[in-house]
Amino acid sequence: MGDRPAGVIGEKVERIGSRERLLGKASFAADIDLPEAVHLVAVRSERPHARIVGIDVSRAQHISECLRVFTAEDVPGRNRVGIIRKDQPLLADDKVRCIGDPVALVAAETLEAAREAAAAIRVEYEDISALFDPEEALRPGAPLVHADGNLLGRRTVKRGNPEAAFKHADVVVERVYTTAHLEHAYLEPDAGLGYMDGSTLVIHASTQNPHYDQKDVAELLGLDEGSVRIIQAATGGGFGSKLDLNVQGFVGLAAYLLNRPARMVYTREEAFLCTPKRHPLTIAYKSAANRDGRLLAADIRVVGDTGAYASYGPAVLNRVALHATGPYELPNLFVESVLAYTNNPTAGAMRGFGVPQIAFAHESQMDLLAAALGMSPLEIRLRNCYRIGSLTASGQELTGSVGIRATLDAVAPQYAAAVRERNGTVSGHIRRGVGIGSMMYGIGNTGQQNPATAHLELTLDGGVVLYSGAADVGQGSSTVLAQIAAAELGLQPEAIRTVIADTLLTTSAGATSASRQTYISGNAVLDAARKLKEVLLTEAADMLKFDRAKVILEHGSVRAVRDADRSVSFAEIARRCHKLGMPLKWQGFFDPDTTPLDLETGQGVPYATYAFATHVAEVSVDTLTGEVRCLRVVAAHDVGKAVNPQGVHGQICGGVAMGIGFALMEEFVPGQTESLKDYHIPSAADMPEVIPIIVEDPEPTGPFGAKGVGEPALVPTAPAILNAIADALGVRIYDLPAGLERVLQAALSARKP
Amino acid sequence: MKRIITLTVNGEPVEGAVEPNRTLLSFLREDLGLTGAKHGCGLGDCGACTVILDGKPVNSCLVLAVQADGREVLTIEGLADNGKLHPIQEAFIETGAIQCGFCSPGMILSAKALLDESPKPTETEIRTAISGNLCRCTGYQKIVEAILAAAGTAQGKEVS
Repeated sequence: MGDRPAGVIGEKVERIGSRERLLGKASFAADIDLPEAVHLVAVRSERPHARIVGIDVSRAQHISECLRVFTAEDVPGRNRVGIIRKDQPLLADDKVRCIGDPVALVAAETLEAAREAAAAIRVEYEDISALFDPEEALRPGAPLVHADGNLLGRRTVKRGNPEAAFKHADVVVERVYTTAHLEHAYLEPDAGLGYMDGSTLVIHASTQNPHYDQKDVAELLGLDEGSVRIIQAATGGGFGSKLDLNVQGFVGLAAYLLNRPARMVYTREEAFLCTPKRHPLTIAYKSAANRDGRLLAADIRVVGDTGAYASYGPAVLNRVALHATGPYELPNLFVESVLAYTNNPTAGAMRGFGVPQIAFAHESQMDLLAAALGMSPLEIRLRNCYRIGSLTASGQELTGSVGIRATLDAVAPQYAAAVRERNGTVSGHIRRGVGIGSMMYGIGNTGQQNPATAHLELTLDGGVVLYSGAADVGQGSSTVLAQIAAAELGLQPEAIRTVIADTLLTTSAGATSASRQTYISGNAVLDAARKLKEVLLTEAADMLKFDRAKVILEHGSVRAVRDADRSVSFAEIARRCHKLGMPLKWQGFFDPDTTPLDLETGQGVPYATYAFATHVAEVSVDTLTGEVRCLRVVAAHDVGKAVNPQGVHGQICGGVAMGIGFALMEEFVPGQTESLKDYHIPSAADMPEVIPIIVEDPEPTGPFGAKGVGEPALVPTAPAILNAIADALGVRIYDLPAGLERVLQAALSARKP
Repeated sequence: MKRIITLTVNGEPVEGAVEPNRTLLSFLREDLGLTGAKHGCGLGDCGACTVILDGKPVNSCLVLAVQADGREVLTIEGLADNGKLHPIQEAFIETGAIQCGFCSPGMILSAKALLDESPKPTETEIRTAISGNLCRCTGYQKIVEAILAAAGTAQGKEVS
């Protein structure tokens, strides 16, 4: 390890891509244009559930600049997309299942003409009874959203004997929690450009998963995968939404069938209307403890609305069930998580896959149990939190990197100080409150293989090129991967050239989701780096006529440990290998060690490692207006090892902002919410001071000990804020968001004798 | 019926023929190829299209191109001086204030307009000045730090 340069892992490095973004030169998908590109506009359903009787395109075809109108019949391949379940048509065929479903696609010479033509298309519908409530959708005899039933899936987790345990408990708390649809509200509306390059269809996409896009676009068009090339454009945030196809299928279809470049840019209203949302969940949570505050049992039943199509619903379903206990030992457990199709907007992946919702419930329960026992919220968490040797809800034994206790310890001084400050602040109708929220988060996909590959190439001039399919959507994965490669090869990160997320040049790294790229792609890069390093050391030793064990990598050379003059450069090694016909490009691979879950009991090893976190939120509540101000958030995160601490801080601060939105202001009302004018996300003026604390309990299987932080950053904030509001008012809110009206109502009920 | 407009963009005289309903944003992006200003919402809610018009930050999606006739526009492409980054840009790199970067051009120009007017702003003044520029990635903290740093009034606040 002595040949690892300082200033690489755990140090500040300039984020890859910063400079071009600051200069306005980064090419986001809507910034890329080809003068001959046609403009695409989709005709979308205004009905939630209806059979399509006919589509009259005649008036559109009379618009001079309108080139063509595509409908389902024009899709040459399989007119179904979806990463887990192929249930979503690119263009509706027999029926529409939600408002916003695309029915036709117009290609025109100008955007204005495309819009005019789209408006001129008449679709004749025959309405079908629509479903907007998941419980209603699951009743026998309900109208069917999909032919094979409205149940998307059901996951149960069973351990011990909860029924018996409840009987012997000293306290039992039972509550129902609800959460709303949320919009990702990434700043860049979805956009893309497609064109034919010879017989290859090339698409510049705003995406989190280019290799998935490639497969689904190829199947839509009846092409082989090799004929479709997806290049990730600079991507303006995704937060899970850009895991699904947005415009890729449309620009692919038009470019392929018209043999002309085609561009499509969603308006903000369109991005709101037709991209996936966060699942609204109803969570019935019963939990029990003994008088020492030890958790004994829980019975948790979750019903959620997955909307019109599956998207990432099955992943949410599983993750909610497996994270339902939070980071606490619970020997007796029954969890049931059910998602139903409805005619609401599709709900999919959104930062945390249901864990932010279930964490709101488990953390509220912890405070309720603590209150019933007269115990402090911090104390009940300390008594129950996972440690080495704990068994999770799925019966998985935790053997390392269990930093939950360390995050609780890290915030304890600030928590105590905040409680003191709250006690000393008395100001009429303004009440102060302090709350804690904790969480655990499994890194990577649930109970299934989800490998990443990466390549490192030594070029003849001695340079090193990193090839990774991992889409960087702003979280900074490219920088972290370059740091990992650099550290192993004795280089500075700037010395690594990166080729990222282009299906022609890179192999799959899987999705940028599930907080998985640092851990999984990081390990794949490390694997490739070790292979390359092996070659460099072996060849150099041979060239230097020196003991293989006594040479080290340093700044692009290999030298004898005790003799800096005896060295050979990477370029010299590269030329020699090339001459000998030895490969200069090495593949790395990593797939986390997981097992599938038992279908009935949910037992197994769903994740190879877990991240942990605790937030403390301080709020003031105006009992006359219902206004909640978040004053400070202290956020301690066990990330294993912070490869890029500045990036980790950035993730935490951004996650807290999203958590504040989730807690206090964000709600997407299907059929009503249209854009950022009526969907408010936190602005700079809404944000409190955030104090990020990095806790490093190294993960033995992680690259340099690293796990992940992207989604964990968001999860504990809303629970901490809701617990703080309850602390301030003495009355608890069970439905998110805790907007003015709900808070005011709670404040009024608190005043009643 | 198009109208001829002449204006100064990033210090250079520019002439264009625009329909009266064209926005300044669309003129900059489509006619001049200056794609640093972003279309985020078209309603003035997000601030991604912010440019500086005669010294004031404006949402260029809400300004008509004809309204810029005879006036001076600064876009993100004109901020660096011959490749040398502006101190605000430097500070954004230094503090790690950029994540996806879609809001960054507008954010930086709002910050520039603020610092031109008020070279030593308080943190509250900064937060108010950029409250019309939404960011979904950063939580704004590092952006505020960057602007404070650029103003030479940086106060470290993080612990780790």
